Amino acid sequence: MTRFETRERGFALALLGPALLLLLLITTAPLIYLGWTSLQRLDLGMPWLSGLAGVDNYAKMSADPRFWNSLALTFVYTASTVLLQVVLGLSLALLVLQIPRGQGVLRVAAILPIVLAPVVVGLFWRTLVLAPDFGLVDLVTRALGLGSHNWLGDPQLALISVIAIHTWQWTPFAFLVLLATLATLPPDIYEAARLDRATAWKRFVHITLPLIRPAVVMVVILRTMTALSAFAAIFAATGGGPGSSTEILNLYAYRTSFSELNLGYGASLAVVLLAITLAVSWLLFRRRRAPA
Amino acid sequence: MRNALLVRRLALAAMAGALLSIWAFPVLWALLTSFKTERDVLAYPPVWWFTPTMANYREVLFGSSSIVPNLVSSMVVSVSTTLLTMLFAVPAAYALARLRYPAKRASGFYVLATQMLPPVGLIIPYYLALQRVGGLDTYAGMIAIYLTFSLPFAIWLMVSYFEDVPFEMEEAALLDRAGRLRALWHVILPQVRGGIAVTTVFVFLNAWNEFLFAVVLGGNRVRPVTVAMFNFISVEQTQWARLAAGAMVAMAPVIVLGLLAQRHIVKGLTVGAVKGGGRR
Repeated sequence: MTRFETRERGFALALLGPALLLLLLITTAPLIYLGWTSLQRLDLGMPWLSGLAGVDNYAKMSADPRFWNSLALTFVYTASTVLLQVVLGLSLALLVLQIPRGQGVLRVAAILPIVLAPVVVGLFWRTLVLAPDFGLVDLVTRALGLGSHNWLGDPQLALISVIAIHTWQWTPFAFLVLLATLATLPPDIYEAARLDRATAWKRFVHITLPLIRPAVVMVVILRTMTALSAFAAIFAATGGGPGSSTEILNLYAYRTSFSELNLGYGASLAVVLLAITLAVSWLLFRRRRAPA
Repeated sequence: MRNALLVRRLALAAMAGALLSIWAFPVLWALLTSFKTERDVLAYPPVWWFTPTMANYREVLFGSSSIVPNLVSSMVVSVSTTLLTMLFAVPAAYALARLRYPAKRASGFYVLATQMLPPVGLIIPYYLALQRVGGLDTYAGMIAIYLTFSLPFAIWLMVSYFEDVPFEMEEAALLDRAGRLRALWHVILPQVRGGIAVTTVFVFLNAWNEFLFAVVLGGNRVRPVTVAMFNFISVEQTQWARLAAGAMVAMAPVIVLGLLAQRHIVKGLTVGAVKGGGRR
């Protein structure tokens, strides 16, 4: 090894070392503590019962219908919001691409939801948009003669509502990323396809989709991560209710830990969520590297 | 023929406009509501023309439940988080982007992995640890946990900016017998000034909007504005106009910053996934 390389290594260590040490201290160490907590019986409501519980918390999960419910909701919530965002975002991007002027205004409108705090979005929807009688949605349904609905009070409507809220806030993300990607596609390929008399649909499936595939997969990865740990908007709109009808695993872990103060069980739920997140991201990242 | 094209264009524009107004409308509606009296809010059919009142803003700023202390909390937490984040992230990102050293891929992947941790998995150990040392409801505790999401994000965003700097500039500086640190400071950093500004904006924005950590670790002394907004609705369920005014004040900084940085927003949002682990 040359002296130059040794010095480069030393310099890299000096620059990167502090950040890595800090990350180790503030993320990895707490995660080890989380794993340890998940093996404890730790219920602040019943502190005298505290002690090592082994895998009891995990065993308890398999017989806990609320856990299975939250797992199913996590799946429904994540799959539907990500699918809706990609489909709506891509359609809108294709549409806007046809419009020569005014894209700037449209971009500003799209940025608004993204920069708002999810908790504020949840509150807006709970009051101004979805409240019975006076919310925007009810104003429309009443005007159309469809009547007033308790959008957040009915279990099924509440689930649809929180999915709509998340989709509303994050579709602009998919839209902006895909619009930027579509704008970089070479126009001459399309000319050739047009000369070959390919239909618009065929051009989309055989040319556009393969070209934007990396961007679509990237959007799916990022949106999946966000959906899996969605919290503030649901918490503000429904709090996980009514009952546990919008309680995705993330909210269940929170409520168990900080409403019911059973931190041991809450920690084991968080560990399961962590495992799911890592597994899903690993699967998605592998797809991203697969040849198109 | 030309007319058909024009009609098609107009139809497309109308469709896109209608869809996009779905995003803008709730926000504009909230803005409108913030100038209404509570009676106008609950009018049916809704009133479009009304005498605007500043009473809601006066109340949320100077009234008994003023959110000014919460704005101060948010400001202290967000500014400190941003400064600390940039202090650690900029040098680390430079090393990840440009230097050769062992286990480079692994270290890049480690930073990326820390970005994916579900927040609820971090808040439980932080709560337990901070409770033990009396760190709940303190700025130090809050800033420590805010760094968990801002630092990995900032590192990856800065890596993408450092990678855009042409290699030749750096080599020229090094041949000039300038030390590596001096080359970084005088040659490289000025090149990524824009990137530093954008990253700073995004880190601040994310910190300002954070809710889960704030609601668990905060208290009477340290209560960011997102938590104040949430408490507002649980205490005064029907005061929508006041809620809307509070939300407008609370969100003004991020709306302004978001619009200023709008051209960079796509890059800021897709950071990390673009590279997928230091593969250089």
